[in-house]
Amino acid sequence: MEIVMRPHVRNFIEWAKDKPEVVVLSADLTNSCEIGEWRDTYPDRFFSMGLAEQNMLGFAAGLAREGFFPFLHTFAVFLYRRPYDQLAMSIAYPNLPVRLMGFLPGILTPGGVTHQAIDDVAILRATPNMTVLDCGDATDVESVLDVAQAVNGPVYVRMLRGEVPRLFDRADRMRLNRARVLSRGTDVAILSSSVCTEEAMRATAVLRARGVGIQHLHVSTLKPFSDPAVMEAIQAARYGVITMENHSIVGGLGSAVAELMAEAGAGKKLVRIGLRDVYAHGASRHYLMKEYGLDAISLVGAVEGLVGQRFGLTEDDLAAVRLQAVHSEAKAEAL
Amino acid sequence: MHMHTEALIGELQERARQIRLDTLDMVYRRQAGHPGGSFSAAEILAALYFHHLKIDPANPAWPERDRFILSKGHAAAALYVALARRGYFPLADLEKWGHLDGHLQGHPDRIKTPGVEMSSGFLGHGLSIGVGMALAQRLGGPRYHVYALMSDGCMQSGVAWEGALTAAKYRCSEVTVIMDYNDVQLDGAAHDIMPLEPLIDKWKAFGFAVLEINGHNLRQVLDALDEALEIHSQPTVIVAHTTKGKGVSFMENTALWHGAVPNAEQYAQARAELQEGA
Repeated sequence: MEIVMRPHVRNFIEWAKDKPEVVVLSADLTNSCEIGEWRDTYPDRFFSMGLAEQNMLGFAAGLAREGFFPFLHTFAVFLYRRPYDQLAMSIAYPNLPVRLMGFLPGILTPGGVTHQAIDDVAILRATPNMTVLDCGDATDVESVLDVAQAVNGPVYVRMLRGEVPRLFDRADRMRLNRARVLSRGTDVAILSSSVCTEEAMRATAVLRARGVGIQHLHVSTLKPFSDPAVMEAIQAARYGVITMENHSIVGGLGSAVAELMAEAGAGKKLVRIGLRDVYAHGASRHYLMKEYGLDAISLVGAVEGLVGQRFGLTEDDLAAVRLQAVHSEAKAEAL
Repeated sequence: MHMHTEALIGELQERARQIRLDTLDMVYRRQAGHPGGSFSAAEILAALYFHHLKIDPANPAWPERDRFILSKGHAAAALYVALARRGYFPLADLEKWGHLDGHLQGHPDRIKTPGVEMSSGFLGHGLSIGVGMALAQRLGGPRYHVYALMSDGCMQSGVAWEGALTAAKYRCSEVTVIMDYNDVQLDGAAHDIMPLEPLIDKWKAFGFAVLEINGHNLRQVLDALDEALEIHSQPTVIVAHTTKGKGVSFMENTALWHGAVPNAEQYAQARAELQEGA
């Protein structure tokens, strides 16, 4: 698997070259959100807003009102919790094209609960006018800018930084409200998002080799959520549906799928893998995914439960887990 | 600085009186609204919309227009009157305030109402938005000035002071804050609920040039608005001391009339007092 180092950095600089109306706002996490080189390349278009996110979102609304496209860079958790009133009332309600680039979504940070955005999708799905995107690999990261920029309204993006795997062909770019079909089958439908897609892929190949037909979709658009391919996969799944997300099972991908299934009268089982209405804690990504059941072996258990068959698989049978290097030795909390 | 003629002052006093009368009618007709904070801002709105602002009602999106943000969005009725009487939409629209088939919301909505620069009603946000609008000019946009009308309630919220920090950082002289300091809020006197004093010192400490005026004295309002345009190294705040419910004896200086509706008798008395005030 190709590992791309910091895919956002060069891509965003190149992308913004002929877009003078694109500006960047940062809340004191500039290098942590891989935007330092962008600042140095386009200093006139960069605003350092300090630790004042409410003001940053209001300020962004003002810029957007004047025809600019502010790309706000900070940790996901600081983009919607501290300034939710500003997000909803200054940006979403007036439907302004602000791009909220949220880094370290879910449990991707060892910084602990204060830094973990585990309810952002739930809150932003419930925010009118908002589009919600969730990156799962380097190709998503590279192509999400075009997807976001084509939206005439506010967009929230769950971004990946650092070492990012390339799971999808570089030419196979993210498309709005279109899930990626990663495998086909009619026993079980698996819908995964964010880094859970990489984790799910550790298990799906092995399960398919054991004879389980899996329709695996990677979901990068969480709102709107009306891709017909999703409903087709759900309808075709003989044993049931599994969602897997780097988020609480309340309000995120699992809830979106549950709503879709219930409204369509698709009376079949749904297993939601994700944080089970708990605050996590600080630890490595690998440890947390295992601890909270967001890992490949948990997916195997969910598939076994649905098809009513045990495969006797252990961690050793799955594709090797990819351990990430520490983001910064100097900053153990990965800031 | 311009010398403002007596004729202009008289004309704007009449405009302010009309804003109060129309606002009273709107609140009474709708049986909802905020008379107190609308009346305290009447002279400020009259000075802005009928003299000071560089605007063109026939072209609400004129790129070089001055931007006005009503951060204290609950004074919406007074703003709607100013917009209608200035020609942004027909006066008859005022009668449909809050109607399903009208375009006037309880608090300003930038998408629905012509001339409303920014949706508001969530207090304290106006300054941050205004600074963003102002700095857009420095990225090569057209030139204009940004005005944000804040209440004492606005200035109790943290985000307002975050906006002030930002205006100071960028020496944002394109922004003028007007503070409608009537010192009364829904729960009581602002100086009891959450004191802002020493307010002038706070604004100065936050990097603002401070002009302190009587917000019902139109000559002082006009002079301050002009003077703010002559300050080029820092943002300006005009701290306008005002009277909540100004112009109606039983509404003045009381929290009771922040968001209350007069009964028929009170309505008649208020109307009579405002008409006598001519």
